[in-house]
Amino acid sequence: MTRMAVTTVLLCLLAACGAADNGGGSSAGPGLPISIGTSRVCVTINELCTSVTICQPGTGNCQTVSDVLVDIGSVGLRLFGSVLSTPLEQALDSQGHAMGECAFFADGGSTWGPVQTADVVLGAAPAVRVPIQVISPTFGGQSVSSNPCNDTVDANPGDANFNGILGIGLFRQDCGLACAVDANNTLYFSCNGGSCAGAAVPVGNQVQNPVWLLPSGNNGVSLSLPNVPASGAPSVSGSLVLGIDTAGNTAPANVLPTDDNGFVTTVYQGRTFTQSIIDSGSNGLFFPDASLATCSAPLDGFYCPPNAVSLSATIMGVNGRQTTVPFQVANTQNLTGTNNAAFNDLGGTLSTFDWGIPFFLGRTVFVGIEGQQSSLGTGPFFAF
Amino acid sequence: MTIVGATAAFIVLLMPAMLPPLWAALGEPAGTVEHDRVMMMGQRQSRSAQGYSIESITVAGMQVKEYVSSDGVIFAVVWKGTGVPDLRLLLGTYFDEYQTALIEARRRTPRVRRPFRMKSERLVLERAGHSRSLLGRAYLPTHLPAGVRPEDIQ
Repeated sequence: MTRMAVTTVLLCLLAACGAADNGGGSSAGPGLPISIGTSRVCVTINELCTSVTICQPGTGNCQTVSDVLVDIGSVGLRLFGSVLSTPLEQALDSQGHAMGECAFFADGGSTWGPVQTADVVLGAAPAVRVPIQVISPTFGGQSVSSNPCNDTVDANPGDANFNGILGIGLFRQDCGLACAVDANNTLYFSCNGGSCAGAAVPVGNQVQNPVWLLPSGNNGVSLSLPNVPASGAPSVSGSLVLGIDTAGNTAPANVLPTDDNGFVTTVYQGRTFTQSIIDSGSNGLFFPDASLATCSAPLDGFYCPPNAVSLSATIMGVNGRQTTVPFQVANTQNLTGTNNAAFNDLGGTLSTFDWGIPFFLGRTVFVGIEGQQSSLGTGPFFAF
Repeated sequence: MTIVGATAAFIVLLMPAMLPPLWAALGEPAGTVEHDRVMMMGQRQSRSAQGYSIESITVAGMQVKEYVSSDGVIFAVVWKGTGVPDLRLLLGTYFDEYQTALIEARRRTPRVRRPFRMKSERLVLERAGHSRSLLGRAYLPTHLPAGVRPEDIQ
């Protein structure tokens, strides 16, 4: 309901919004500031957010939207329509009907709303024209509880704890070929009057990872965050750098190509999880370990060992490269009792292995986009 | 015709009272798999395992697997793909329990941003993955055939 510190309208020429600091070389300049615990909207523990500027296509009518989740586990920019004061261009199908999308997330969340074209400005990089999702539960005559997602979709920034999601993961588009060839893809819809029907959408018209459309620095991103004490920190701030080979980046020790679906393999206590993910949008380390005590409600599903435990797991890429990552899991109840916001030892249960925010604290993590070449190889890969 | 259009038409014709759909999968007889295939407009394959069989439906970048016990009851559903299949269809009478748990999980303040998991005496449901490859599974813990462990349902 309440939304705070949402938007600042900037009046700037696109050129001035764009590459002023870029110097025209391969260096993309300073990264975007990213942080946990500094926002009144992104109030979830270990919730990493940034700001993004969007402009009405081809104009200097721009707006900066703060409190946008930084998510390498998804692809595409999604912003709540309720925080936008800048008109964007509605995407239409060949019959002139408005295109809408359902986006699904592993936390059970889903977003519904129109696909619209915006000029998106990330930090000091030039603006890129890109289809995004405007999150709007009532678009196309739909509602929070009754919509083509067949689910209860995110209603507003206050409930979702973000004004939007900046999906800068391993892929160029959020769907790809499957949604270009089959109308029953469950993601894209064509809306006419009060009804929406499944629609095939050409790959180039799908919601895009804005990074791969940049004129330079378009092969991926890196996320750098400082570490925190075992009891957590009230906030942390770091940086999101566009481009793998950007000046100032230190070459990572481990380059782990993912499979075609973006998965790596994690081996933990003799069990092998082939559908393992590295995800800045997950707020803990999630994995199965029946020997760890779990917390009682409302923290059920998180681990609550009496004392912090030191563990390790091995992450493997499809090239056979592997590296062992030590980590700690502390008592979640004790952690949340500190009122801190950033923790490197928050863990919970899952049937596979999900390396969330604790993995990112004290590291620089590189994300290589599919088909894009860099000094670390061709994406999709993770490196750290 | 699309999934949405077909469902809407069917509800208008046969389900004016919004009753749980008769073709619901989880907990229902194996014969309902074919209903699911028709509704999803997918391709179907079968294979046998020790003490159960797996009925797979493939459509539009997604694969749905329905696990059928030897007495012909669907005791688990697994999905993966670029999209998410119609869970109202696949979970049937269990859908409302899932929705209630989902809404409760998202009402937590502050919200917990983690793969969704619910566990009750009747139903275990998990979602995971990321863009391009969304995963999920649901099973009925009291209906698992002898010798089948939860980790066998993948």
